[in-house]
Amino acid sequence: MKYFKAFIVCIALLGWFSNVASAARIEISAPGEKTIPLAITRLLPMPGTTVSSAVAVEFQQVLLSDLELSGLFDMVDSAAFLSDANKLGLRSNEIDFYQWRLLATDALIKGGYKIDSGRLTVELRLFDVVTRRLLSGRRYVGKLTDVRKIAHKFADQIMLSLTGEKGPFATKIAYISKRTGRKELNLMDVDGHNSVRLTAHKTIVLNPDFSPTRKELIFTSYRNGNPDLFRKEIYTGRESRLSLKQGLNIGGRYSPDGREVALTLSKDKNSELYLIGTDGTIHQRLTNHWGIDVDPSWNPEGDKIAFVSDRRGNPHIFIVDVHSLEVTRLTHAGKYNATPAWSPKGDKIVYARLDKGVFNLFTIRPDGSEDRQITFGAGNKEHPRWSPDGRFLVYSNDLNKDKSIWIMRADGTGGRRISAATARDSHPAWSGRW
Amino acid sequence: MESSRKQRWQQLISMIEPGFKRMLVISVALHLLVPILYYTPLFPQAKIDKPPVYRVNLVNKIVENPQAGRPEAVVVKKKPKVKPKPKVKPKVKVKPKPKLKPKVKPKVKPKPVPVKAKPVVSQVQKNKQLSTIEKMKAKLEREAAAEAQKQKIEALKAALAADSKIDSPVKDAPVGMLDGTGDEAGISAIAAVREFIQQQWSFSEYQAFGSPEAEVKLVYNQVGTMLHYTFVTKSGNDQFDKSLIRAIVKSKQLPQDLPRAMDFEIIFNLKDMLDQ
Repeated sequence: MKYFKAFIVCIALLGWFSNVASAARIEISAPGEKTIPLAITRLLPMPGTTVSSAVAVEFQQVLLSDLELSGLFDMVDSAAFLSDANKLGLRSNEIDFYQWRLLATDALIKGGYKIDSGRLTVELRLFDVVTRRLLSGRRYVGKLTDVRKIAHKFADQIMLSLTGEKGPFATKIAYISKRTGRKELNLMDVDGHNSVRLTAHKTIVLNPDFSPTRKELIFTSYRNGNPDLFRKEIYTGRESRLSLKQGLNIGGRYSPDGREVALTLSKDKNSELYLIGTDGTIHQRLTNHWGIDVDPSWNPEGDKIAFVSDRRGNPHIFIVDVHSLEVTRLTHAGKYNATPAWSPKGDKIVYARLDKGVFNLFTIRPDGSEDRQITFGAGNKEHPRWSPDGRFLVYSNDLNKDKSIWIMRADGTGGRRISAATARDSHPAWSGRW
Repeated sequence: MESSRKQRWQQLISMIEPGFKRMLVISVALHLLVPILYYTPLFPQAKIDKPPVYRVNLVNKIVENPQAGRPEAVVVKKKPKVKPKPKVKPKVKVKPKPKLKPKVKPKVKPKPVPVKAKPVVSQVQKNKQLSTIEKMKAKLEREAAAEAQKQKIEALKAALAADSKIDSPVKDAPVGMLDGTGDEAGISAIAAVREFIQQQWSFSEYQAFGSPEAEVKLVYNQVGTMLHYTFVTKSGNDQFDKSLIRAIVKSKQLPQDLPRAMDFEIIFNLKDMLDQ
């Protein structure tokens, strides 16, 4: 019996070892497809509601535009959709996933709407076609005019489901527009719609920046003759002067915690960087050099600031440590580098460089490595700013001498114009989560 | 004379400082010591690793039997298909004839000279000679025809090879690989499975954060049906792991049979994608 048991154990061990030995090891170091095949079906009316094709069409356009900008997806052509696309299946057991697999779809968006005495209810679902699971489901209730907002919100939700981080599509972009003949502060959606003028200073307004904690903006205006720094609450419209020192009060940027503002003051006849509190009092002088120091931009930790200085001759990007005030030079290439913006993830700084008579955008790591050009071609691309998730950039472009606001992915792909033609828009700033 | 030489030598020796010989020996020993020490482990020599060379096939899609019909592929038994002998024969037959005729003539001419008493024998000899000549002629013709046919086949092969030659810089590529020098047996099962699963895996660079890596064990039976899979290690990136599950589910049936039931331990990461 003992021998028999030993024999069985040996056989089992042999089997196990042979099994282990026969496993072939493979390394796959890149996916075959670098986009997710996604099908967006048309929004269908839910039972017992009035049909409004305008709602469905507008929703689809906005959602498609947002998701295409993300670069994550490969949209399945709606002309190829089969019968399931015309069914309002909001539950996984109501959907014929086999049809969608035939179209090589990995993800599917379905939705329905209901209009009840001016109130719009939209039910939306994101399904994983391969595993036949619901990835995300949301119900939005609002006014009929909120269709675009709902589409942006759901686009953010899709990004959250598929990347683990919310998208920036439901945020806002502030910018300076000259459509009234004077440079005024404006606000618009990320896709350029719903543009609203915020100031009527009838003079020059410059360089806006959003507060990271509240729905308010700071900007420079010549309303009182001197370039002073203003603060404006967006919903109340309340406005006040935050810094009104003699000379320049420009380039104001909120610290990541929203408690301080870095800006350039020239009260001592030379442009230097300072930190001021939200009450306008000076907390600290950051630079002390005969050169001109402008355009501060905080790192996400709030302990370093990138800025532009001509202390070594040509304008270049430098970094100052807020605590030790030690200044280090970041860029060496190019003859004119300007308007740095530190990414919200802290890994890159984007800036504009004048090269062969044209400004183009470059990114560089904070340690000075990987200095690479991300925009090319005609048109000066300037004033870059990051989206709150660090995936996108907004900037001004004067292609064909028509200055406008453009948006693109952080790697320089997918650039598209978002502001209206002939409006002469510039100096964009991207809000935080709205 | 000799004594003067000795004297000079002694003078020379006397000029050398005492202890010079010892110094000389030490110096030689030290010089020898340097190369000896150089090759000991005390002086570790940094190995110069050649950078890896990657070949990326962006054009060819995976096929079941990629090497079929390739002329530079290793010839397998089936190749002697090219046997269209009859076509070649007529062209070559004519050439050897004129060479043979002059050899035969001188032997035939002297025949009438011999004595009249032996006409029967000579006739038999003549016939015999003629038959041997005929046989030789036939043999030569056959050899020439065979040679011509061989040459034509070679020419056809060369022409075909020139038409469809795919230059592969990877001389020692695995047998059956798309870019290699494999035979008609087709692509290796492991490479085919790797290619297929990779094609099923979709993950965007805009989803990538950090350097995620996961290991999955897949068990397939001989007809290419997945029996089960297990995550040996997960990446910690939820989206990355979910994309792998999608790829695995899509790979539950391979497009071709396997040589036997097989287990695969697959490491998924984004090294190549992030390098770009």
